[in-house]
Amino acid sequence: MSATSPNVELQGGRTRSVWRGRIFYASLLLSLAVGFITLGTLVVQVVTKGIAFVDPVLLTNPPSADPAVAGTRPAILATLYLGVLLIAFTVPIGVGTAIYLEEYANRSRWYNRLLELNIQNLAAVPSIVYGILGLAFLVRGIGLGRVLLAGALILTLLVLPTVIIAAREAIRAVPGSIRDGAYALGATKWQVTWRQVLPAAIPGIATGSILAVSRAIGETAPLILIGALTYISFNPTIGGPFTALPVQIYNWTKLPNPEFKELAAAAIIVLLAMVLLLNAGAIWLRNHYQQKW
Amino acid sequence: MANAETELVRMRGVDQADLAERARRMPPPESRDVVFDVSGLGVRYGSARALKDVSISVYKNFVTAFIGPSGCGKSTFIRCFNRMNDLIPTAVVDGTVNYHGQDLYGPRVDPVEVRKRIGMVFQKPNPFPKSIYDNVAFGPRVLGMTDDLEERVERALIQAALWDEVKDRLKASALSLSGGQQQRLCIARCLAVEPDVLLMDEPASALDPIATTRIEDLMHDLKRDYTIVIVTHNMQQAARIADMTAFFSIEISDEGKQRSGILVEYDTTPKIFTQPSDKRTEDYVTGRFG
Amino acid sequence: MRITLQQELDELESALHEEGELVLRAVRGCLGALDRQDEELADEVIAFDDEVDEAYLRIEEGIQSLLARQTPVAIDLRTVLATLHVNLHLERMADYCVTVAKLTKLVAGVPPDATLMEAFEEMGVRAEEMIRVALESFAERDVQRAESLVELDELIDRANRRAVQQVIAIGGDDERREWGLRMLIVSRCLERIGDHAVDIGEQTAFLVTGEFREFTDASH
Repeated sequence: MSATSPNVELQGGRTRSVWRGRIFYASLLLSLAVGFITLGTLVVQVVTKGIAFVDPVLLTNPPSADPAVAGTRPAILATLYLGVLLIAFTVPIGVGTAIYLEEYANRSRWYNRLLELNIQNLAAVPSIVYGILGLAFLVRGIGLGRVLLAGALILTLLVLPTVIIAAREAIRAVPGSIRDGAYALGATKWQVTWRQVLPAAIPGIATGSILAVSRAIGETAPLILIGALTYISFNPTIGGPFTALPVQIYNWTKLPNPEFKELAAAAIIVLLAMVLLLNAGAIWLRNHYQQKW
Repeated sequence: MANAETELVRMRGVDQADLAERARRMPPPESRDVVFDVSGLGVRYGSARALKDVSISVYKNFVTAFIGPSGCGKSTFIRCFNRMNDLIPTAVVDGTVNYHGQDLYGPRVDPVEVRKRIGMVFQKPNPFPKSIYDNVAFGPRVLGMTDDLEERVERALIQAALWDEVKDRLKASALSLSGGQQQRLCIARCLAVEPDVLLMDEPASALDPIATTRIEDLMHDLKRDYTIVIVTHNMQQAARIADMTAFFSIEISDEGKQRSGILVEYDTTPKIFTQPSDKRTEDYVTGRFG
Repeated sequence: MRITLQQELDELESALHEEGELVLRAVRGCLGALDRQDEELADEVIAFDDEVDEAYLRIEEGIQSLLARQTPVAIDLRTVLATLHVNLHLERMADYCVTVAKLTKLVAGVPPDATLMEAFEEMGVRAEEMIRVALESFAERDVQRAESLVELDELIDRANRRAVQQVIAIGGDDERREWGLRMLIVSRCLERIGDHAVDIGEQTAFLVTGEFREFTDASH
């Protein structure tokens, strides 16, 4: 026990940095609030307006001039088909490109750098531009016509850069030590990629793909541009004319009859539900296959 | 030589077999089998020279340790033995590494064939994110050695002293094992492809002391059937387990511009740790380095 | 665990016991030569010391190598240090046997005194017993048994003191007196062999308890 102990002041003061910290924290809460409140208001408005109209009629009937019996069945089916085709196209192309860029490409070569630059840019291109592109080259250029397949292909192009970027991140996240271990056992580059890197990257790739797809099925502009019809009463086929749920919603809001606006709100709920389901699926997939390195 | 021994036997009643056992443990240089014959080996990454003019013979069924301060090129060197340096684009290897008489860097040599015979265990255990069984089975599967796969896996796990601990949960994730177990799994993975040589790059530096001791005891058993080369920054470890020890150091030349790794001394472990020939070696092992 | 360390410790200890066997043979040899005045046997005993020295050196080198490479601690370290000391004591015992053999050669031809010879025989038997007890208690890490060496040593010490009296009593001509003095040295050698055996017992106690203490104070 010393006679003189150093003067230790443990009581903190109301210093400037403490206040700065508090202000910072408050602004974070504020931005969070703004986001939540805005979103919340929108959702609440839509749901209150449309929930009464979400019934089996809406889901199973084709559209009609009579709001009482108008439904969204063809639109829902088309959106589903679009989603499936989208996955079927984007995943192989996107993952393949990502594997090439991450595992095989020699970064010092100019064409590889150009490829990377392109992909980054394409992710930022407005969706309506893809619509024009599709109209010019797919619908008219090679003569596909205004069909579901064309819509799927447009959306593929729209979504591909995002999937490639997500897949690259997932592949990059696979630790180099895994590759080293596989090479050291005598595996060839192909075996290492196919048997170790890809399987380990699948959760990330799947999550990225599903998120990209769930964004895409909400796209309206490109589909309208390539000629999604406003009024289809039959079930769509891949090679035939089609409409999609966002397009349907857009059309209903344009009609003079106020009841259609309420139906549109109901259809928005259906669309939101579909997107929510997809995202939930993505989260479940990610959690189920998550590996702790 | 024989006369003196029989004299001893008569006077002391000593077991002949016991004598033979002791002589076998450290045969004289002329009677040792050479697995790797390295001559004038150098490695550079781009323009930076990592390793300069190394010549060394690695003997069969010996544990050979590479020790030295960090940056002396010992990890770079051990990776030359299984051509893992090929995976680094800027690495250039010159000189020869003869494996049982064949140049590993010869024009038509397939790195996959090389790595089949010369396995490697890394510093941080790197089990694949798969089941224990699939980890050990990976090597045989990619190399087409799929006959009796289950027996192969079991044999490898037994040799790696891991079988008893995992035999009831082969399908469990490899990542659920402890660090020491994971490292033994990585060793089992190597053994499953029946290599000739095991390269170990600081295999125990990420492990606790007990796990380390188990790995060291394992190496002692494994050297009966395999040739083991180990890099370690823990020279006491080299002292404990190695038969031959090579001390690497850093040579600074060109007014301090070039730092390259060189081989300073290579001899039996007792000699290195009781009476090294080079002062630099003595400074290092006594801890007076730098 | 630590297979190599254990193996090397075991090897050192078995080498030590082999050396002990050599020393016992040396003791028996030199006493037999003394008793039967056998110069040839005495020569063999002297030559035999080379074997003991070789064993001693091998153990020394083994210990040096083990300390450098295995960095033993706690009981392993005490075992190694005890082995080092026991090794030295065994080698000294063998040297005393050589001295006895050399003295046997020097006094060849002189008729011995029967009483003294009997005493030496008894001392020799005691010495052999002590060596055996010392080595066995070391092997078994039995401190109590090691401590019993003190009593056995007492017997040799007493016999040594009686030998002095007997030599004085012999008297006689120069040759006889010279013989007597040389035999005194022989007696002293046997007594020292007993002391070294006690020292081995002390090493056993050190190994087990970690404490080094003399069993008896030499000044008594």
